[in-house]
Amino acid sequence: MNKKLQWILWTVLVVFLALYPKIFGIYYTNVFVTFAVFAVYAVSLNLLLGYTGLLSFGHAMFFGAGGYGTALALKHIHGIALMPALGIGFVAAIVLAAILSPLVVRVSGTAFAMLHLALGQIMYVLALKLRGITGGEDGIGNFPIPKLNIPGIAAIQMKNDTVNFYYFAVVVLGLSLLIMWFFTKTPFGQLQVGVRDNAKRIDYLGYKVPQIKAVIYIFSAAFAGMAGAMYALFNNMVSADGSLGVLISFNPIISAMVGGIGSFLGPVWGTAIFQVIEEVVQHFTDRVELVVGIILILVVMFAPGGFTGWISMLKQKFFPIGPRLLPVVTKEKLEKVA
Amino acid sequence: MDPTTSLYVAQGIHGLAYGMILFLIASGLNIIFGMMGILNLAHTAFFMLAAYFGYQVVEWTGSFWIALLIAPIATAFFGIILERFFLRRIHTRGHLGELILTVGVGMVILAAVKIFWGTENLPVAVPPGLAGMVNIAGLGYPIYRLFVIAVALVVLGIMALVLYKTRLGMIVRAAVSDADMVNALGINIPVVFMLVFGIGTWLAGVAGVVIAPILTVFPGLDGQVGMDAFIVVVTGGFGSLMGSFIVSLIFGFLSSYGVQFVSQLAPVLMVLFMAIVLAFRPNGLFGERES
Repeated sequence: MNKKLQWILWTVLVVFLALYPKIFGIYYTNVFVTFAVFAVYAVSLNLLLGYTGLLSFGHAMFFGAGGYGTALALKHIHGIALMPALGIGFVAAIVLAAILSPLVVRVSGTAFAMLHLALGQIMYVLALKLRGITGGEDGIGNFPIPKLNIPGIAAIQMKNDTVNFYYFAVVVLGLSLLIMWFFTKTPFGQLQVGVRDNAKRIDYLGYKVPQIKAVIYIFSAAFAGMAGAMYALFNNMVSADGSLGVLISFNPIISAMVGGIGSFLGPVWGTAIFQVIEEVVQHFTDRVELVVGIILILVVMFAPGGFTGWISMLKQKFFPIGPRLLPVVTKEKLEKVA
Repeated sequence: MDPTTSLYVAQGIHGLAYGMILFLIASGLNIIFGMMGILNLAHTAFFMLAAYFGYQVVEWTGSFWIALLIAPIATAFFGIILERFFLRRIHTRGHLGELILTVGVGMVILAAVKIFWGTENLPVAVPPGLAGMVNIAGLGYPIYRLFVIAVALVVLGIMALVLYKTRLGMIVRAAVSDADMVNALGINIPVVFMLVFGIGTWLAGVAGVVIAPILTVFPGLDGQVGMDAFIVVVTGGFGSLMGSFIVSLIFGFLSSYGVQFVSQLAPVLMVLFMAIVLAFRPNGLFGERES
């Protein structure tokens, strides 16, 4: 893709996002904010899953940490502004990840997944039991949402204003996506792929694998926290089931699998596909679980690369790139290597 | 014996019964994992499915014993289908796909039981011979829980006999340590895998049927017990039945005495235990290889 086309695409995207609330109305604006939140959340999980090869069944604890952090800050700190409150949610997730990282970098594979399932469950139970802080099953709702102060320019109403909140969410979540994108392009970000493919070799090259894992883990958690904080603001509510439940942990994994864990934008596609499916399925049946389960099975069985993998397969089929640009690994070559 | 002591004893038996149930589920999970490297996340869904099958058979025939015979076999049948037609086809593509596939299967089973049986708690009566209480150290104790312990011990005994005294057991143990090599020696490993998967889900099925009269049958049944079983396998060490057995007992006691002494913390005690174990032994208490 050349530079010019790229600029055109970016412009189209920005214009589309700017006009979206006007075109689609309030309901679909809200749907889009939900999509954006879960897209960032799924991408943050994919930093672990797709890039580093660590499957976490408890990513919701960071999503929840962000949500509860922001909600508690807004509820208890009088007169706090919007951005600091968001920052507190962000930092809460970072702190939680930093505390857990010495333990979790020691395990990998299935043990990592199960450890997170359990840790996520602890957080869920704690959120239910520590009624005094978290409000138990009711969660924290109806906390004040301050105006967004841009010094010298404006104070923008956020509470009960869908369109304003939409622009705010698109900017914050879009920036989050960009930061994660640049992170994967840095030399350090490339290391995570190395850790996934061959941790021993990275070790021999003189890098410290556990520390690399820890940094990626904290980074991933931070943006899960950001998504969670935005979700709390969006709903003006945070609850154990809505932010910490095991379904919230599985949600981004499913999105990432469906969209394709092999690419940065895969989880975004997956989230979009799921959003559409849910919108559609809701009209016909309330057995969303059944549909999701069947889709998961079908994807694993027939499209292991997910949506993006499927697309690039089609691309390869109909617009094959010459072997000069993309070295095709033939069986003979593989055997020679082996 | 004074009341306090007998209370402790009763709690101990409670813990033992729960530990045994955990072990039934965890051992199935663990032999499947040890052999195929698949952590079957649908395992607890099978456990729940068996409870529903048990309920249905009791409804039809009125006999708990027939349910105990048939329901686990029916469950194992579904497990074998999962292995033969789904997991086997994607086995070469790595573990992530398998893990996610079993999540999907678990969701489908959960949705299916909701469709067929609704979401209410379905009671299963304790079989007549085992109703009543028995006097242990001056304290009435339900016979049924002792029966649960006995069933688990019998199953454990049979499993140990099969594993260590028969040719099949020998093959299974060999396959646990190196499936490819056993395959190369001319043993039909895919069939052995299928069989082991069936036995594993059968064990979950037995657990599901025997727990039904205690907890009743409902769609969330797989949640708590299942989570505990996964924690048992992780903490005890993948592929180590011994580890699963010991940790199951520890967890059984942790849960029963935990509720008594630190009821607020009880739900997280096991997870704390696991976190501590994994901090010092990343492969679990008795695990020897990388998971």
